Amino acid sequence: MATARTTQTAPESVTDEEFGRFCDFIYRRTGLAYGQAKRYFIDRRILDRVEKTGSATVQSYLSLLRFDTTGRELEEVVNSLTVNETYFWREEHQFACLATSILPEVVRRKRPGQPVRIWSLPCSTGEEPYSIAIWLLENWPDVDRYNVEIIASDIDTKVLAAAQNGVYDARSVQKLPKWVLDRYFQRLPDDTWRIVESLRGSIEFTRINASDKAQMAAVSDVDVIFCRNMLIYFDDVSRREAAESMFECLAPGGFVCLGHSESMSRISPLFDVRRFPDAIVYQRPPK
Amino acid sequence: MSDGNVTPIRPAPAKRLLVVDDAALVRAYYRQALEPGGFLVDEAFNGIEGLEKALSGPYDLVVVDVNMPKMDGLTFVHRLREAEEIACLPVLMTSTLNRDRDVAAARAAGVNLYLVKPVSEDDLRLFASIMTGAAER
Repeated sequence: MATARTTQTAPESVTDEEFGRFCDFIYRRTGLAYGQAKRYFIDRRILDRVEKTGSATVQSYLSLLRFDTTGRELEEVVNSLTVNETYFWREEHQFACLATSILPEVVRRKRPGQPVRIWSLPCSTGEEPYSIAIWLLENWPDVDRYNVEIIASDIDTKVLAAAQNGVYDARSVQKLPKWVLDRYFQRLPDDTWRIVESLRGSIEFTRINASDKAQMAAVSDVDVIFCRNMLIYFDDVSRREAAESMFECLAPGGFVCLGHSESMSRISPLFDVRRFPDAIVYQRPPK
Repeated sequence: MSDGNVTPIRPAPAKRLLVVDDAALVRAYYRQALEPGGFLVDEAFNGIEGLEKALSGPYDLVVVDVNMPKMDGLTFVHRLREAEEIACLPVLMTSTLNRDRDVAAARAAGVNLYLVKPVSEDDLRLFASIMTGAAER
């Protein structure tokens, strides 16, 4: 008896129609409103759930989601949408810590005018590096005394392109006070917000895979790394290797800020724990 | 009084400023400080680009940093004062250097006003207004 062997490959993209149906469904069931400004983020989550549920197509995944009477898949997908979602001024206490505790300590080792390097890794669609820039412009009195270089990296070239474009939906900017929106954003007709050009030009975007030691080794003398909610997706070995790579990227005395659910103490013994009033961060020993 | 004799008051044209600084975030800071004051702001990232832009002006004021790669702020001001078309352009220099000899060097180069960083947004707007004759908005 002859048997036909079929190779099932996971779909690699989401059509506009599928994206629209997904967003409609999520909105009707949860009130979470997503639009085109979040397209890359949403597409990645949908394709991830297609793979994890073993669905052959995006279409069949959407059917599974819709007709799953247990509600488990809806819960899974909502978790994936919200847990890793980024938005402006997310965990803003860390930006406060940057301006009031970390940078004053960093610049004590520098002469005025010297570069202060801050690295957002991964930067996703840009909310974090732009938040850092805005926070420093508004809250760090020495912002014009040093050459602050903000580097923003991600493995995904599509999210990097979105970050450079700097257009955000209302959901991404909802934590920002109105005066910040008025000052740093331009409102576009489709209820999205575009970050002003001077800020877009103040950040250096580069593609970097944090798991690739050679790529990481190309970055050096960094004073502060924001690496929030990335290591939780790595296995133990990759997590330790990424932490060691970050250690090498840092200047002596440089700092790492992790997400609130992450702890460097459980990953690598290389770093000192620093408890500042606004946040706990990790430091490469000064010498 | 007849309406025919009334001349409508036209708002003065916005003053044009050129900010020359190698630090992108500092340029953003100056822009955010000055644009709400009604100024039109252009940027250059070193003295060479600053001179090219100044020559293609016109500008009402240049705000320039001291330490920059390729061409520093003092050299920039020397060259600017030597170029006939832009020799009279007012220059506001901002710097982290605050020794007497730094201020003297700036004055000798032809700097009109020297401010030591950090410079507040209010001070930037105020001095830019004074130096360009613009009414503060």
